[in-house]
Amino acid sequence: MEGTRVALLAALFACLSPCLSAEGGPTPASQKALLDRYCVGCHSAKLKTGGVVLEGIDLTHAGNHAEVLEKVIRKLQTGEMPPPGLPRPDAATYTTLAKWIEDSIDRYSAANPNPGRPVIHRLNRSEYSDTIRDLLALDTKPGALLPVDDSGFGFDNIGDVLSVSPALLERYMSAARRISRMAVGEPGMKPTEEEFSARTLGMRTTRNERVSDDLPFDSRGGMAFEYYFPVDAEYQIRIKLNGGDSAGNATPYEIRMPVKAGLRTVGVDFLRDSTKPEIIPTAGGRRGGGGAAPPGGAGRGAKPLTAEMDLRIDGAKIKRFEPTEGFGFPQVDRVIIDGPYNPTSAGDTPSREKVFVCRPPAGGKDDDPCARMILTNLAHRAFRRPVADTDVQPLMAFYKQGKQDAGFDMGIEKALRAMLVSPDFVFRIERDPAGKAPGTVYRIGDVELASRLSYFLWSSMPDQTLQDLAEKGKLKDPAVLAQQVRRMLDDPRSQSLVDNFISQWLTLRNIALAKPDPDAFPEFDESLRQAFNTETELFTQNIIREDRPVTELLDANYTFLNERLAQHYGINNIYGSQFRKVTLTDPNRGGLLGQGSILTVTSYPNRTSVVQRGKWILENLLGSPPPPPPPDIPDLKPTSHDGHQLTIREAMQQHRANPVCASCHVRMDPLGFAMENYDGVGKWRTKEAGTEIDPSGKMPDGSSFRGPAELKKSLLASHRDEYLTTLTSKLLTYALGRGLEYYDMPAVRSITRQAAKDDYRVSALVTAIVQSTPFQMRRIPEE
Amino acid sequence: MIVTKKALARRTFLRGLGTTLAIPFLDAMVPALKAGTTAKASVRTAFVYVPNGIIMKDWTPAAEGAGYEFMPAMKALEPFRENMLVLSGLAQVNGRALGDGAGDHARAGATWLTGVHPKKTEVAIHAGISADQMLARELGKQTQLGSLEVGLESPSLAGDCDSGYSCAYTNTISWRNPTTPMPVEVNPRAVFERMFGDGESTDAVARLASMKEQSSILDYIRGDVARLSNGLGGSDRNKLDQYLEAIRDIERRIQKAEEQNATMKMPVMERPTGIPDEFEDHAHLMMDLQVLAFQADMTRVISFMMAREGSNRSYRSIGITDGHHSVTHHMNDPEKIAKTAKINTHHVETFAYFINKLKSTPDGDGTLLDHSQILYGSSISDGNAHTHHDLPIALIGGAAGRIKGGRHVRYPKETPLNNLLLTMMDHTGVRIDQLGDSTGELKLLSI
Repeated sequence: MEGTRVALLAALFACLSPCLSAEGGPTPASQKALLDRYCVGCHSAKLKTGGVVLEGIDLTHAGNHAEVLEKVIRKLQTGEMPPPGLPRPDAATYTTLAKWIEDSIDRYSAANPNPGRPVIHRLNRSEYSDTIRDLLALDTKPGALLPVDDSGFGFDNIGDVLSVSPALLERYMSAARRISRMAVGEPGMKPTEEEFSARTLGMRTTRNERVSDDLPFDSRGGMAFEYYFPVDAEYQIRIKLNGGDSAGNATPYEIRMPVKAGLRTVGVDFLRDSTKPEIIPTAGGRRGGGGAAPPGGAGRGAKPLTAEMDLRIDGAKIKRFEPTEGFGFPQVDRVIIDGPYNPTSAGDTPSREKVFVCRPPAGGKDDDPCARMILTNLAHRAFRRPVADTDVQPLMAFYKQGKQDAGFDMGIEKALRAMLVSPDFVFRIERDPAGKAPGTVYRIGDVELASRLSYFLWSSMPDQTLQDLAEKGKLKDPAVLAQQVRRMLDDPRSQSLVDNFISQWLTLRNIALAKPDPDAFPEFDESLRQAFNTETELFTQNIIREDRPVTELLDANYTFLNERLAQHYGINNIYGSQFRKVTLTDPNRGGLLGQGSILTVTSYPNRTSVVQRGKWILENLLGSPPPPPPPDIPDLKPTSHDGHQLTIREAMQQHRANPVCASCHVRMDPLGFAMENYDGVGKWRTKEAGTEIDPSGKMPDGSSFRGPAELKKSLLASHRDEYLTTLTSKLLTYALGRGLEYYDMPAVRSITRQAAKDDYRVSALVTAIVQSTPFQMRRIPEE
Repeated sequence: MIVTKKALARRTFLRGLGTTLAIPFLDAMVPALKAGTTAKASVRTAFVYVPNGIIMKDWTPAAEGAGYEFMPAMKALEPFRENMLVLSGLAQVNGRALGDGAGDHARAGATWLTGVHPKKTEVAIHAGISADQMLARELGKQTQLGSLEVGLESPSLAGDCDSGYSCAYTNTISWRNPTTPMPVEVNPRAVFERMFGDGESTDAVARLASMKEQSSILDYIRGDVARLSNGLGGSDRNKLDQYLEAIRDIERRIQKAEEQNATMKMPVMERPTGIPDEFEDHAHLMMDLQVLAFQADMTRVISFMMAREGSNRSYRSIGITDGHHSVTHHMNDPEKIAKTAKINTHHVETFAYFINKLKSTPDGDGTLLDHSQILYGSSISDGNAHTHHDLPIALIGGAAGRIKGGRHVRYPKETPLNNLLLTMMDHTGVRIDQLGDSTGELKLLSI
C-alpha cells in the first residue's frame, strides 16, 4: 500500500512538470496521445483509412508533416472526425487539439515560408479586354471574340489551365489587327456591317418602361449600346423592328450620316405619350400586343397607329421616325451599323491621344525619332515593364515597313499589331533572379508585384501611378502598398472584382443560362432575370465600395431593388425601374441567401432543389463540399402510393432513412430545407404541394434553425470561421491565379487573423492578402 | 443561305465582302495532288456528336443486313439509305468508371474519339489523342487548316462539370495530345474568319498580302519567345512551347495557302454576323460552313458537337422545355422517354440537312458525300443508366468507294469503337497500328 501510494505520488509528480508546462497546456506528447487514442485506430499505417496515416507522427516537428496535419485540422474544424458514434474527447480538449496543431504549423511556416509558384499566366478573355481598354482607351471588349477559357478551382484565371492553341493564336492575330486599326484610326478601312440584337443585350422587354440609363426619362422600350466608330466618316444606321407588315417584310428605318470617331452610345427609343394604349378595338381585333405578328382579323380596316421612334447618338436625338408596325407597341429587334464610308480623317479619339505621344515633323523625313518615342512608350506600357533597345528594335522594323506602304500612321499601326501578339503582352511573365539555388524563396520585384496587384484588383494592367511607384522601388514600403490598395479599391476599375471574382465564386454566371419553366413560374421574364443580376451586382459592389465587413454579405439588412423586383419579393411602395438601396424590415430577406439570383441558380427549371441549395452553401460559403453522389440515383417521386402529393421533405425521406445517403445528406438537406420558403425563382411562399412548408433544419453538430433568418444567424454564429476561411481561400486563389496547396493554409490563417483586426472589412482582407507570403514571394523550383 | 437576314439587299451583300467572286463549280476545286495525275478524290472525314445517349429501342433496327426498316429516331436519314451503315455493338469501355466513381458524361466526351480512360481531375487534365487530331497531323500537311472543331453549345462556365472532372472533358471531343483539348468554336462568324481570315474580302490577292504580313509577325513572336524562355522554369517553358507550336501551325497554313492560292477560287459566302437565336438556324449555318470547308478543301477533318456532352439545354422549338440531360434520366417514365426520343429525332433531322447538302455538292467525278465519311453518334447509349457499350453509331458516306452502305451491321459485344476509328483513318490513307484501345480494323464496311 505504502509502495503504491509513493508510486502514485511519483507518477503524479512525474506527470506534473510536463503536464503543468505552460500552465497545464498541451504539449507534443499530450496531443500525440490524443491522436493515438482517438484516431490511430482507423488511421494506422496498416489500415490507411481514407488514405490518411496518423500513426507515428512526430508532433515535435509538426512542420514536417504539414500536409497530413492540415487534413486533420480541417476535419477537426468541421467536427467531422471522429465519425459520429465513435468516442471523442470533450469539447475543450477537442478545440485545444485543433488550435495547437494549427499553431505549431504556423510557427514552422513563419520560419520556413513556402510561397509556392504560380505558372506563367496567360491573360484570359476579360483580362485581355480590360488591358486593351486601359492601354489604348478602346473599350470594345475584343476578348469576347477569343475562345472561351477553361477554368479550374472555380475560376477562369488559373495559370495552369490557361493554355494556348493554334485557334487562340489566330484569334489573337486577327484581334490585334482589328484593335490596332481602330486605335490608330486607319482611314483606308473597308466598310463592315455589325449587328446588335436587343435580345442578346438583354433589352427585350414586354414592359412599358425605360430600358436603359442611356435613354431619356420619358422613353419606353427600344435599346441602347456602345459602338466604336473607328474614323470620322459616314455611317449607315438601320433599325429593324419586330413584326413587320403583312408580307413579313420589316421596313428598314435608316439614316446615313457623318459621325465623328470614338466610342459612342447609340440608342433607339419610343416616346412615351405616343405609345399609350388608346387603340380602338375593331371587329375581331384586340389591343396591340407588343410587336408580335398581328393576329388575322385584328385591326383590319383600322388606320395603323404610329409611334414615335427616336434614334440617338450619345443622347442627342438624330432623327425621329414614325413606324407603323406593332399597332402602337413597336419593339426594336436589332440595329445594324454599316461603315465607314467616305472617311474624312482619322479623327481625334482618346486612343489616338494615347498612342501618338508626339507627331513627326512635317516633310516626311526625320520621322524616326518620334516613331521611336511612340513605340518605346507603347511597349513600356504594353509589356508592363521597362523596355530596352532589344525590345524596340524589331518594332521599328515593322514601323519602317508600314511607313513605306502607307505613311507614318500605318507604320505605327503595324508595330502595334505585332506588339499585341507578343508573348510579353499576352503572358504575365515573372523571372527568377539568376544564380539562385533551387528551393530558394525570394521576394518578387516591384514591377512584377505591380502586375499581380493590378490583375488582382482590376483584371487589367497597372496604371501610370502604380507603374511609376513600382519602377522607383517604392512598393517595398508597406505603407505605400497599403495606400495603393485603398486607391485601387476606390477606383471604378475595381468593378472587375464584382464581374470576375464575385460572379464566379457565387456561380452567378449561371443566371444567364437559367431557364425557369414558364408553367411553373409564369412570372419569370427577362426583366426579372436582369433585375436579379443587377441586385446582386449592386449589393456586392456596395460592400466593396463602402468597405463593409464581409460578414455583411450574409446578414445585411438592406438590398437594392427596383419596382419589378420589389413586387416579386412582396415589398411595397417601390416605384420605377431605377435601382435604389432599400432597408429591409423582413429579417428573412437580406444578404446573399435572400437574393433571387442565388435562389434561382440553385433550383431546377420547375421546382426548388433542397440538395442543390444545401450543396451551394457547403461549397461556396463553408468550404466543405460534399463528395459526388453515387451513380443511378432515382428521381424524386412526387406522389406517394396512395396518390397524394408529397412535399419535398417527405419525398426525400430516403436521405434520412438510408445510412449510405445520410452520411452526406445530413449536412446538406437541413440547410436547403431552411430555405424552402423561397420558391424556384426566389419568391416567398408558405405552402408547397398544398401543405404548409416546414422550414426547420437540424445539423449534425446539433445547431438547429427555422427559416432563412435563423439559418443566417446560425451560420454566422457557429460557422463564422469556416465562412471567413472559405472566402479568404477563394479570394487568395483568385489573387494568385493558382489552386491552394496545404502549404498555403498558414497564409490563409494569418490573413484571416489580420483581417479580424479591422472587423474583416474588404480593404483589410485585400490588404492582408497583398501582404501575404504567397502574394509577395516566389519559390525557385527544384528542377 | 444566311438565315440571320431575311430580305437581303444586294448592295449589302456586296458591301460586306468587298469583291466577291461568283462561282460555277470549277475543277480547280478538286485538290490536285500532283499536276497531271487524276488522283482519286481525297476522303473528307467528319465526326458528329450528340450527347446523353439515344433511346436505343427507337434507333437499333430489328433486322441485320440490307433492307432493314428505319427506326423512328433515324427516319430522317432514310433517303440516304444506300449511303449509310448502321453499326451496332460498338463500345467505349474506357468510358466506364473503372474504379473512379461518378462522372460518366466527362468520360463519354473524353473517350469517344480517343478510347483512353481520362484522369479524374479538375485541373491537371489528361486524356488521349483523338482520331480527328491524328488525322489532322497527316492530312493537315495538304490543307490550309489541319482540322476544324465546331459546335453549337458554348463551353460550360466555371466549376467542375461532372463529379470532379474538369469541364474540358465535356466541352470537347477533340484532343491534340493527352493534355491539350481543342477548343470548340460555336460562333459561325469566328469559324468563317478562321477559314477566310478576318479580311472583309475573300479576294485572292488581298489574302496573300495579309498572309505575308502574318508571316513577319510570326517571326517576331518566335524570336521573342526564344528570348523569354531563358530564365524560366520548366512548367513555364512548356506554356511558351504551346505558343511556339501554335506559331508553327499557322506558318504551315500560310505556306499551304500560298501554294493553293494560284489555282483555288474561293466560293462565295457572306461572313455571318454572329450566333443565330434558333438552334436549327445555328445548326444549318454551321453545317453550311462545314460543307464549304470540305468543298474548298480548306480541311479534310472536322469534329462537330451538336451539343456539349452532358448538355442540359432545352429545345423549345420542338416543345421541350425541360433540360435534355434531365429527361434522359427518365427512370422509365414514358413521358420523359417520349421527350428524349423527340430530341433524338430532332437531332437526326437537323443532321440530315448536312448529309443532304453533301449529297447535292458535286466533287470531282461524284458528290462530296461519295468522298466523305461522316460518323454520327454518341459515347453513351442508354442515357438513363450511363452505359458505354452498344453505342448508337451510324457511318454515312462513300469514303471514295471504300464504304458500301445500305446495311445494318452488328458486331460482337464490346467491339471497340476505336476499331472503327482506325478503319476510318485507313480510308484516308493514314495507317497506324493502334489508337487507344483498338484491337484491329473493323471488317464488313466495304463488302
